[in-house]
Amino acid sequence: MDLSIVLQFFISGVNLGCIYAALGLGFFVVYSVTRVLNLAQGEFVMVGGMLTATFYSMGVPIILSALIAIAVAGLLGGILHCGVIHPARNLSKATQTFLTVGFAFAIEGIALLVWGWEYKSLPNFLSTPNIHFGGATIIGQTPWVTGITLLAVTGLFLFFGHTLQGKALRACADNPLGAKTIGISVDRMSLYVFILAGAFGGIAGAVITPLTMVSYNIGFPMTIKGLLAAFVGGITRAEGVILGGMVLGMAEAIAAGLMPSEYHSIFAMIILMAVFLCQPHGLLSSSGKT
Amino acid sequence: MRDYLSWMKDILAFTKEQMREIDSSSLLQLKNISVAFGKLTAVDGVSFTIRRGDITSIIGPNGAGKTTILKLICGLLPLSQGEIWFKQQRLDKIPPHHIASLGVTQVFQDIQLFSNMSILENVMVGCHVWTDSGFLNTGLKLPHAKAEENKIKEQAISKLSLVGLEQKAFMLPSHLSWSEQKLSGLARALAAEPDLLLLDEPYGGLMATEIAMLSRLILQLQQDGITILMVEQRTDEALEIANQVVILDSGEKVADASPTEIRSNAFIATNYLGGRVKGMSEVHHAASK
Amino acid sequence: MNKTVELRRTKAEYLILALVVVLFLSIPLFAGPYHLAIIMDIGIYAIITMGLILLMGQAGQLSLGQAVFFGLGAYSSAILTTQHHFAPWLALLLAIIITGSIAAGIGRAVLRLKGIIVSGVTLVLNLIFSYLVLSLINLTGGANGIVNIPHLSPVKLIPNSLFDYYFLWIVAFLLLAFSLNLVNSRTGRALRTMNILSGGGEETAQVLGINVMKYKVQVFTLGAVYASIAGSIYAHHLGSIEPDIFGAHLSLLVAIMAIVGGMASPWGAFLGAALLMGLTELLGKFASVVVSGPTGAYELIAYGIILMAVLRFLPQGLIPLFQKLPPQSRHSK
Repeated sequence: MDLSIVLQFFISGVNLGCIYAALGLGFFVVYSVTRVLNLAQGEFVMVGGMLTATFYSMGVPIILSALIAIAVAGLLGGILHCGVIHPARNLSKATQTFLTVGFAFAIEGIALLVWGWEYKSLPNFLSTPNIHFGGATIIGQTPWVTGITLLAVTGLFLFFGHTLQGKALRACADNPLGAKTIGISVDRMSLYVFILAGAFGGIAGAVITPLTMVSYNIGFPMTIKGLLAAFVGGITRAEGVILGGMVLGMAEAIAAGLMPSEYHSIFAMIILMAVFLCQPHGLLSSSGKT
Repeated sequence: MRDYLSWMKDILAFTKEQMREIDSSSLLQLKNISVAFGKLTAVDGVSFTIRRGDITSIIGPNGAGKTTILKLICGLLPLSQGEIWFKQQRLDKIPPHHIASLGVTQVFQDIQLFSNMSILENVMVGCHVWTDSGFLNTGLKLPHAKAEENKIKEQAISKLSLVGLEQKAFMLPSHLSWSEQKLSGLARALAAEPDLLLLDEPYGGLMATEIAMLSRLILQLQQDGITILMVEQRTDEALEIANQVVILDSGEKVADASPTEIRSNAFIATNYLGGRVKGMSEVHHAASK
Repeated sequence: MNKTVELRRTKAEYLILALVVVLFLSIPLFAGPYHLAIIMDIGIYAIITMGLILLMGQAGQLSLGQAVFFGLGAYSSAILTTQHHFAPWLALLLAIIITGSIAAGIGRAVLRLKGIIVSGVTLVLNLIFSYLVLSLINLTGGANGIVNIPHLSPVKLIPNSLFDYYFLWIVAFLLLAFSLNLVNSRTGRALRTMNILSGGGEETAQVLGINVMKYKVQVFTLGAVYASIAGSIYAHHLGSIEPDIFGAHLSLLVAIMAIVGGMASPWGAFLGAALLMGLTELLGKFASVVVSGPTGAYELIAYGIILMAVLRFLPQGLIPLFQKLPPQSRHSK
């Protein structure tokens, strides 16, 4: 096989993988601390993308548009926590999970009211032109996607590993009761993770809009793609989610390169479903933990 | 050649018959069982045999591995080593629901009644093992399912009246007192018509009068032919009704004898019986003094 | 004495059932085609939701994949009749077998997982199904779907839509009766023992001899079969199907219907379906006229708000409001 084709696969695989990982990490941060599956995660992505495109079309510079959109998505995460999850904190995790479905429907409806059925798109960030490298073509947005995702993930790891709040969050994730007894406010931590998840969704939305157009109803599909990444790798560990995203991206890129276009998504899906059914708790699962 | 084969068969049949006779008195055999959770060995090389029709009490300090042994018998935990035999069948390789169908039922320490069902329904669930109507049968209400449902209801009511709770049949578990909940749990287990009944701390949280009543009930069950294995912290009551006593400490078997023998052993009496039960570390400490 | 109370309650339930059946059979006498179509939609949704209620309300397994099995039923029926020229009723039965087998396989894999993870995984199934439908163009027609699916009615004595109406509602009520029988039986009790959402316990169930995994897979399969029947009727009734209908949104909508209606009883399916479809009609008709905006927006917002409100304030759904005594006090009497 031509080296340039391999390179092409690799680059688009990493690119797709970064997107999947960013989608999946939002689930990871919320699930690890609260044990709630936030099925409104995709709505943050939608809001991030739609807002970036809206502000940009109003003449705001693209980076600033993206930052505003990410902030709003984070705020929305906070609203989800304060308005919906926190009041129901004594109800079961299943109820809380379904509450996020309700929130997602409401957000989707509001988005439809505000933006209508219209699809929105963006140019590549800073209008980066396509790059030709070693016989492979790199779409101008690719470095942005990869770079920003890597930055966000590094930030997440630094935050979890080196800051007091991050350590408190990890303590909550490992042992909520224990964390409570040493004076960590689990409620506050869960607010932080929802904001974090919102911002993560916003980032994903902003960076993918130049690649795939967005509209009011991309929320649930994005939720599902993120869930897939999270489950393939194992939702209980961040490394697992990233690995899951990468595997997913690579599989999709290779399938796209080798098979007729109508089969590529399904090929990737089937491989991953197989992984996932043989290793039900994900590739990197802490044994038997659900 | 053929003669030789049939002769071998005869011998095998004979030995099988003999084995069965030897074993007929033993219902449950634990052979050198061990289980470890990570580095912690909860049960370490324990062996004992339970005879048909006996009441066997396992006593010992907290963390001795008593409850673990019950969970191992009914298949809720996998063995790390050893074998468990029940009526000539090996238990430690089969799933818990299958073990239950062979005639082993457990009443948990915390009962675990199903809070979404009435007491009657809880006891009716106990009849699951000896009934077989499935989705189609019950959904279409075929005669077989109808007949079974009647039998189930009859059995459940009779077991509830055995423990004196037929008046509370339609209540939810949360409306019952602790002792009533314990008795409901017992009725549910009895509805399964077990050969071997495992009781985890049956006296826990009961008052003196309730304890006496429960003891009478357990003795009556023994009369009815049910073999009972119980785990108990209250050594006096446990010894009083038992035919056999097994003492566990730190996962190891310390003694396996009749209650009289247990009582007459000075070392055991001071360290494991009466009042507070001491642990192995304290025993070692006392011995070294 | 208590026993008679219990019996009378179920008798009352069957009396209501009979009344409702008569009412539904007479509706076509006075309702126009438009309203008939809405009532049929309610029936379709109710059947799918009923399957979910058995799975979620009884066995406590959170599934968000009902649309997949609805779609499998619809596509099986459509493909068998248009490409292989099976009789529609035979296609419906074969669709049940196909969907049931697939569901049993999926259930065996997915139900090893616990709690809300199951809901996430079954949600993912929706995407896989839609990719499958879009990819296997030769079989499914891809994005164009399948047209010219024959009607169920074997001989044309009454109009097709009327036949479909009667067929659908008779099936719906038969399935309701089946579900009610199931709930009040050995099987229903076994399912409730593994409902960790409301007071079950898998260990206890196993110690009492219940094969938890087998029951989970069976009820998952049964729920899928309900959805498949609804799917077949839907496909034969409309005569054409498109992939868009069988997506995550439908799965979620069905879950909302189950939660809003109430998951403790199969009746909740009808209540939930009627309420949400009624609401959709109302909003579709008036909201876009009174306050302008794209159609669909207000429905989505309403679904979301109703779901959140019911979960917070009526965790048992609407069903308890229709029972004279709430279940708790009924038992304590």
